Amino acid sequence: MAPIAAEPPGAEALYEAAPCGLLLADPNGRVLRANLTLCRWLQYPCDELVGTLRFQDLLTMGGRIFWQTHLQPLLRIQASVAEVKLELRRKDGTAAPVMVNIAERPFEGGTLLHVAVLLAEDRHKYERELLLQRRRAEELAAQHARDQQELATARAEAEDRAQFAEQLVGIVSHDIRNPLSVIRMSAALLQRGATPEQQAQAVARVTRAVQRVQHLIGDLLDFTQARVGSGLRVRKRDCDLHHAIADSVSELAVAFPAQHLLHEQAGDGRCVADADRIVQAIGNLVANAATHGDATRPITVRSEGDGGTFRVSVHNHGRPIPPELLPRLFEPMVRGADANAAEGVGLGLYIVREIARAHAGHVDVRSTSAEGTTFVLDWPCA
Amino acid sequence: MSTSSVLRRNNVHVQGEGPPVIFVHGFGCDQAMWRRLVPHFAESYTCILMDLVGSGQSDLTAYDKQKYSTLHGYAQDLCEVLAAVTTAPAVCVGHSVSSMIGLLANIASPDQFAAQVMVGPSPCYINDGEYFGGFERGDIDSLLETLESNYLGWSSNMAPAIMGAPEQPELAVELTNSFCRTDPEIAKQFARVTFLSDHRADCAKLQAPTLVLQCSEDLIAPRAVGEYLQRHIPNCTLRIIENVGHCPHLSAPSASADAIEQFLRGL
Repeated sequence: MAPIAAEPPGAEALYEAAPCGLLLADPNGRVLRANLTLCRWLQYPCDELVGTLRFQDLLTMGGRIFWQTHLQPLLRIQASVAEVKLELRRKDGTAAPVMVNIAERPFEGGTLLHVAVLLAEDRHKYERELLLQRRRAEELAAQHARDQQELATARAEAEDRAQFAEQLVGIVSHDIRNPLSVIRMSAALLQRGATPEQQAQAVARVTRAVQRVQHLIGDLLDFTQARVGSGLRVRKRDCDLHHAIADSVSELAVAFPAQHLLHEQAGDGRCVADADRIVQAIGNLVANAATHGDATRPITVRSEGDGGTFRVSVHNHGRPIPPELLPRLFEPMVRGADANAAEGVGLGLYIVREIARAHAGHVDVRSTSAEGTTFVLDWPCA
Repeated sequence: MSTSSVLRRNNVHVQGEGPPVIFVHGFGCDQAMWRRLVPHFAESYTCILMDLVGSGQSDLTAYDKQKYSTLHGYAQDLCEVLAAVTTAPAVCVGHSVSSMIGLLANIASPDQFAAQVMVGPSPCYINDGEYFGGFERGDIDSLLETLESNYLGWSSNMAPAIMGAPEQPELAVELTNSFCRTDPEIAKQFARVTFLSDHRADCAKLQAPTLVLQCSEDLIAPRAVGEYLQRHIPNCTLRIIENVGHCPHLSAPSASADAIEQFLRGL
């Protein structure tokens, strides 16, 4: 360096009290001199900074790694670095955020490090704020992506529901039209005058048609309750289910005169349940078995209690349920490929599942060509 | 990958003639850090210089978070660069983390390597029971924080400004570019991958003659780490260079060159 010919007056005062920290170090960072400003900022007596400490000793651990892996190599390659943000540790261990410029200058055959330090408290706060905002922006962007995803899912669900409603209207009108036409034809027959035998048959047909419509309306009300409300309403009380199920199997035998119905019972029949709902579920399962099962072989209803769990199963022989239908079997409006008007709106199994759920239980199905089809409902007794 | 795209991806430069020596820089810098060593070796060796993907002037678009989530991704690149330049077994001179990248590449493809030179290596930076790596997990978090706050001051692709170095006019042309450029996001991941890596279990698998070149005072790779490597690498020589810092090839280039040269002559 060219020596300054005559030091201007006040130069030493400027060095010591300059509005920035100044530090002179050997190439390894050992502090040779530090001005008063820097000593004051770092709360060190100047003689403690000089001679023993290295510049990098003043850095935080992260800063030291950065110094060794990045700043020192850069200094060796290009002799200077500027506008580097670091944290210097004061004597009491607290960190002072600073901006640092460093230059490696030749001196007496070797080199020295010239370091200028500026406090950057406000800038540091501002940067923290920026980082925080950036993180917040990143979180918002991630949230936005999640919202979009949820919105797409909700939209798909809404579309499903709309389609479902349309289908429901179609099926319901179809299923009401059939019994209505039975009633209309029977009325026409009665009006024309008929033999007492024909009259009795016509009245029986009308009664069955009315029952079908009533059943349909019952299913729709249950469906609405289960789907829109807080679940299917059940009134659980102490009851003897073996007894109630035996009664219902006798009634079903009348309703399905072509079928051979068996009731098996095992263990304790006492249970806390809504017996009417359980009977309703069995009715739905038996009706399915009669529609899809082998009509020449019996349908078996089995009730079994062990004091802990109550289990009701309905078994029929015949062709198994197509495997592709199984995953959605208990969803509303799923009907077999051989569906016909006699089968109803496809709410039967859905209502069975809702009855099981309302009893804190569940329903399962096994179906193979060897064993036939068995639906099993179970729920806790108490 | 084609030869030319590998060369472009890793910004490969070749100079000199003779048996091949490949130089691989460490975390935080690029191939510029070999500038004081290469002229010495180019007289009798083919010197191959490369930038790790994400550093220096490598192709940033080749950076794949998944691939470079371990050092194995970089080791694969190293083998590809060697295959693109030479068929002869090469000496691999790796600095810092690239010592371990070289070790992994050598284990995966031993035929491509004649020897390993490790400058300031560490198989594991974090202390673990009896093992002294020099750092605690919190130190690495502190580094990531330092990196993050520094990049705020930099435009996305710039190293710290240079104040000019009138004493070194040969730098004048290069000053328009910056050395050791890094993309902030990549630097953060690379720091994490580097300083959280643990390849102690791989040391015993290295069969090639190995020189560990260590500084007498190095925060990143303390003496105990060099001694650990000497004990665990089967065919290993440990040489200590009197130097404070992590880059003897920059601060003590002739001592470093002599030590490497002596090792290479003994092969």
